[in-house]
Amino acid sequence: MAASAARGAMALRTNIGRPVAFVRKIPWTAASSELREHFAQFGHVRKCTVPFDKETGFHKGMGWIHFSSEEELHNALQQENHVIDGVKVNIFLYREFSVYQLNRSEV
Amino acid sequence: MAALLRPACWLLRAAAAPYLPLSLRLLAGGPGRPHAALCLRAARARPAAGGLLSQARLRSIAAEKKNYLQEEPASSHRRNASQFDWALMRLDNSVRRTGRIPKTLLQKVFDNTCHSGSPGGNQALLLLRSCGSLLPELKLSERTEFAHKIWDELQKLGTVYDVSHYNALLKVYLQNEHKFSPTDFLAKMEKGNIQPNRVTYQRLIAAYCNMGDIEGASTILGFMKTKDLPVTEAVFSALVTGHARSGDMENAENILTVMKEAGIEPGPDTYLALLNAYAEKGDIDHVKQTLEKVEKSDLYLMDRDLLQIILSFSKAGYPQYVPEILEKITYERRYIPDIMNLILLLVTEKLEDTALQILLACPISREGSLNDFGSFFLRHCVTMNTPAEKLKDYCTKLKEAQLHMSPVQFTLQCALVTQKFDLAKVLMKALKEEGFPIRTHYFWPLLVGHQKEKNVQGIVEVLKGMHEIGVTPDQETYVNYVFPSFDSIKSVRAILQENGCPHDDNVFSQAELRSKAVNGNLDYILSFLESNTLPFSFASLRGSLILGFRRSMNINLWSKITELLYKDGRYCQEPPGPTEAVGYFLYNLIDSMSDSEVQAKEERLRQYFHQLKEMNIKIPENIYRGIRNLLDSYHVPELIKDVNILVEREKTDSRKTSQPSLSDLESKLEKLKAENQPIRDILKQLILMLCSEENMQKALELKAKYESDMVVGGYAALINLCCRHDNAEDALNLKREFDRLDSSAVLDTGKYVRLVKVLGKHGKLQDAINILKEMKEKDVLIKDATVLSFFHILNGAALRGETETVKQLHEAIVTLGLAKPSTTLSSPLVTLYLEKDDLPAALESAINCYEKYKILPRIHDVLCKLIEKGETELIQKAMDFVSQEQGEMTMLYDLFFAFLQTGNYKEAKKIIETPGIRARPTRLQWFCDRCIANNQVETLEKLVELTQKLFECDRDQLYYSLLKLYKVNGDWQKADAVWNKMQEENIIPREKTLRLLAEILRNNNQEVPFDVPELWYEEEKDSPTSLPSPVEVNLQKELLNACHRRRNKDAFNIFLTAKKQNIVFDNEAYARLINLLLMKDNSTQAMQVKDFAETHIKGFTLNDAANSLLIITQVRRDYLKDALTTLKTALDLDQIPSRLAVTRLIQACALKGDIESIHDIQKLVNGLEDSIGLSRMVFINNIALAQIKNNNIDVAIESIENMLTSENQTVDPQYFGLAYLFRKVIEGQLESALEKISIMAERLANQFAVYKPVTDLFLQLVDSGKVDDARALLQRCGAIAEQIPIFLVFCVRNSQRSGKAPVMKSLLELIPELIDKEEAYTCLMKSYVFDNDVASAKALYESLTAKNVKLNDLCLKRYAVLLKNAGESVPFTEPPESFEFYAKQLKESKETHL
Repeated sequence: MAASAARGAMALRTNIGRPVAFVRKIPWTAASSELREHFAQFGHVRKCTVPFDKETGFHKGMGWIHFSSEEELHNALQQENHVIDGVKVNIFLYREFSVYQLNRSEV
Repeated sequence: MAALLRPACWLLRAAAAPYLPLSLRLLAGGPGRPHAALCLRAARARPAAGGLLSQARLRSIAAEKKNYLQEEPASSHRRNASQFDWALMRLDNSVRRTGRIPKTLLQKVFDNTCHSGSPGGNQALLLLRSCGSLLPELKLSERTEFAHKIWDELQKLGTVYDVSHYNALLKVYLQNEHKFSPTDFLAKMEKGNIQPNRVTYQRLIAAYCNMGDIEGASTILGFMKTKDLPVTEAVFSALVTGHARSGDMENAENILTVMKEAGIEPGPDTYLALLNAYAEKGDIDHVKQTLEKVEKSDLYLMDRDLLQIILSFSKAGYPQYVPEILEKITYERRYIPDIMNLILLLVTEKLEDTALQILLACPISREGSLNDFGSFFLRHCVTMNTPAEKLKDYCTKLKEAQLHMSPVQFTLQCALVTQKFDLAKVLMKALKEEGFPIRTHYFWPLLVGHQKEKNVQGIVEVLKGMHEIGVTPDQETYVNYVFPSFDSIKSVRAILQENGCPHDDNVFSQAELRSKAVNGNLDYILSFLESNTLPFSFASLRGSLILGFRRSMNINLWSKITELLYKDGRYCQEPPGPTEAVGYFLYNLIDSMSDSEVQAKEERLRQYFHQLKEMNIKIPENIYRGIRNLLDSYHVPELIKDVNILVEREKTDSRKTSQPSLSDLESKLEKLKAENQPIRDILKQLILMLCSEENMQKALELKAKYESDMVVGGYAALINLCCRHDNAEDALNLKREFDRLDSSAVLDTGKYVRLVKVLGKHGKLQDAINILKEMKEKDVLIKDATVLSFFHILNGAALRGETETVKQLHEAIVTLGLAKPSTTLSSPLVTLYLEKDDLPAALESAINCYEKYKILPRIHDVLCKLIEKGETELIQKAMDFVSQEQGEMTMLYDLFFAFLQTGNYKEAKKIIETPGIRARPTRLQWFCDRCIANNQVETLEKLVELTQKLFECDRDQLYYSLLKLYKVNGDWQKADAVWNKMQEENIIPREKTLRLLAEILRNNNQEVPFDVPELWYEEEKDSPTSLPSPVEVNLQKELLNACHRRRNKDAFNIFLTAKKQNIVFDNEAYARLINLLLMKDNSTQAMQVKDFAETHIKGFTLNDAANSLLIITQVRRDYLKDALTTLKTALDLDQIPSRLAVTRLIQACALKGDIESIHDIQKLVNGLEDSIGLSRMVFINNIALAQIKNNNIDVAIESIENMLTSENQTVDPQYFGLAYLFRKVIEGQLESALEKISIMAERLANQFAVYKPVTDLFLQLVDSGKVDDARALLQRCGAIAEQIPIFLVFCVRNSQRSGKAPVMKSLLELIPELIDKEEAYTCLMKSYVFDNDVASAKALYESLTAKNVKLNDLCLKRYAVLLKNAGESVPFTEPPESFEFYAKQLKESKETHL
């Protein structure tokens, strides 16, 4: 019981509800600043990350946009087409949870 | 098309194949067609539909298995067969989709085959066969080389070749136009003791013919004749080629006549041979003529054949004739892969212009296409080193033709992937000319390439190239891609300067700083920041600084840097200013650390905060709160006070000017003391206030000064304060004084635990143990959270390396029975040594635990470390122990997981292949969950891979776990691969697995390649509704009837009868039945009906009322998750659930302490509160209650206080009813919560003049019979007595319920002046009447008349009826009219008063 509770508590430092959009199929020509530029039309972009693979020098086509409010996020989600550098990207609501937290103290 | 399968089938049964291998044959190029014309035509006539696949496949597999049974021992048969299937599947998939096999895939299958040990004959065949025209991206010579490599390698591994293998090799030679000596080949076969067969001879003839050697071909032909082997069309076709290539076109043409004479009609293959022969000579006229001739005959040529002619023309140097043939191509969809392969082949042959011509001729839909066509061509051109200028031209043409939207960008990407810098430069310049921006990250792939080889010169070249194109490297470029290749950053600067490579000093310096920060070089950072003259934003530095701080333990430097940033005008002076910036930095710093890291660095962080305090650095209060919450969640509340000292006080104080300040209270205290009045309350209040401000020094002084007036509550708060401040000495003394004051007094669990923690930490072990003993003696409530706290205490000590503390406290906790010696609780005993890297002791400790408690904490971690360190002897010891105590199987699993975890997959494989080992689902699941939690993709993949053959292993479950992990990472490609793997393994997936897979694919906008399992009714649902039979109609009527009469049992029985007969009613009938059942509280039956209706009527939903009832029932049965789902469903359907349902659900969640669900509900009903009729207080009350249930009393209290004291109040304090919360706290006997709430309510009343809470509390105390407490409260807070309106509402409410007379009586005793109010005495009378309390009613009447109060008629009427019913006389004239009359009269008179 206690163990599972401990794990649960550690695992579920959830950030559910943070207004974050997950973007896929980003063309290789675009990086975070292009994404930020595009999504700025929907609201204030607090943070925008497009992680690059240091092994290849390319990103993997995925990125995260942190808006400052739920409303802005929904503005972005509601628009059907998002075209960056002439390529249609896909955008989703991002449910973030840091599973990485789990067991950190044990391992 | 089962492209590979059919050939496989054919090869297996080389002598009598029913079909021709289409893909191989048609891509073959030229002769080499071994089969009779009759068979050929039959094969051609068939459409290349998928329907054939299964049939053909079945046959091939059947054939293959038969073969195996003959040639392999039975034991290895199954394994090899499945492996064959797997390889086949992958290659077949590739051929089916694209008509080709990528070299990497073939290489992979080959490596895997070799790895498997002894590859079977079929696998060898499959691999060899793939080395021909299925590899259009490889040069002909390379393909043959590959085939030879496979041949030799497999032979070494013991594969036995038969004639089919030799024939396959021959075929590859022919396809690859490999020059070889047929006689040598025959000699080789002879040496291998293999008899050539008809196919061998045919192919050898083709080989001679390809070289134009008719003589050679004739020899073999003669040989065939002596053996009486039939001469097929394929031989004649080869001869056509042979004569043509020897320059004798006339004889080539004559072959057709010879054939006819021999009784064989020339088929398309023969004509194709002829056509190719003409094409090789550039004879377009004859080609055209022949084509016309074929068209007129009953034969026809397919696109593939025409493509072959195009290839011949192009290779022979006559590209000018290509368009004429292209015209004849029909571009059937299924031949698109063939066209693509031809294009690739042409590029490989350096005939890329022709390739482009064909590409441009492709009728690809160009409308609104975001789909690009031609990428494969561009990519292959880049691979084959097509000149840059040509590629640029191709891009322009592709774009003009609207085939490709961004060809240059794509080509550039290919150039970057393949590290072709010169090409990339040309393309970038082209892009720039077209007005596209060239971005810094375009150069990163190039830098990565050089970085891997530490090629400094290469990097310099790239940087120069960047400059040439006008791109300035940014910080990231330097930090991630340039610096790592150099020994030092200094040398970078030097080398760049040496090579005339310009760089922006500002950017470079920032990059250098970041790079140093990441390496924890804080000395450098400090000196840089001090001497820096460049403009710099703090924000740009934050991320790196945090990493730097975490990697350096020099707290002085931490502080110095923070101070510099805070005070130096260069860094964070612009708004919002240094307070915010540094506050936010501290928050981020702590947030970026894990809980164990913060625990381990607690002392250092404390030192840091205190140094900041010394430096007079301040942070805003809101950020402090955030940090406090973080620290709380990390289980290091001791640090909170150390952060608190940094809070900027001035602002806080100005905000709360209305609140009586400390000094007010102090002077009040002095005054009371001077007047010799009781000071206990005010003293307690003052101490609590000091505690909330974390002012320990003053609180202690105050206590010392007025020690005799201290009460239990004050001590409790003080003890807690000292614990928070890590002040063990005073905490202990206070605890002793507390005990002296009242030895029976009990602290709440949290305070005890904190005491134990602080005492333990300061080495006062015996005192800590005494506290534990007291907890046991006083029977303090131990919750899961308490056990968790024990764990954190022990774990903290273990991380600090305090052996004795861990051991003794653990011992005490366990022997006292405060907590069970679970694996978690005992793990610190092992952690202790693991942290010190003392592996023998760690193992010893784990074994000790087993001996004492039968648990083995952290054995997995111990083993992992032992393996990492290579401690063979200790591993042996551990394994012997586990094996002896828990059995060999457990030991094997322990070892297996440890090897997996440490990446020793080979060893893991050996373990899991131990004979006799079988699947242990719970252990496997444990490891899966662990991998998922730690996001260890590779480890989990390996687990799944290695357990493939594990006996009784639930493969589906393992793949399900793997999918779960992929879902977390959004990795649909891998999820898709799992789908394929499952097919390979012939696993039948469960529905949940398929659903999960479908979900992953859909989430990533991928097509779901299978039918997502739906419920079985789908197909049936339409039939019954179409024509209801009379029986159905009657039954439905009966059902509705029964519902109407509320006869739930009957109604349900009708439902069951109908169900048995498979009769489906309409929506309405089910809805009514469900409503009825729910009303009768028969939720099981209701759910049964609901399930049935849902599975039989598409879109069946419950209505508002039913859903509300359902929620209530689910709540009553404690199915809260279900109830929440029901609520969601209802709201999704735009229904308005009833207030009762929503309230019940919220309350139930609160009682469970489930705050999250309450928040969810709040979000769900957001905006609907008024329609539902929810009061705002429902959420406030229940969230607070839930927090209290979770032992977060302080949080609850604080948020309520904030709501009441902040400027923008959502609820008017007058209506801020907390009665529900109070009642629940009182009912639940949550004493410590009650105490705190009471303090809060009093504080609100005394300091903020908010009286509603304290009055509510007072009333709830009265209501629950705690009259003494209520009286005490009233004495402390006299203002309660003035809250008459609240009392009246309370009276009216209570008078509507029976049994409340005593409560009303107590209230009147406490607040006697209430009796003067008409509402009050009316209600009181009503209550007495309700409860038939004649005596009290009489007393009331008398006291009222004595006071000359004139009672209203309604009241008199009630009293009169009561007396009459009791058989007593009525001392006044009973009002003659009815109750209703007087009630109405009273109401009207009140209205006129208004």
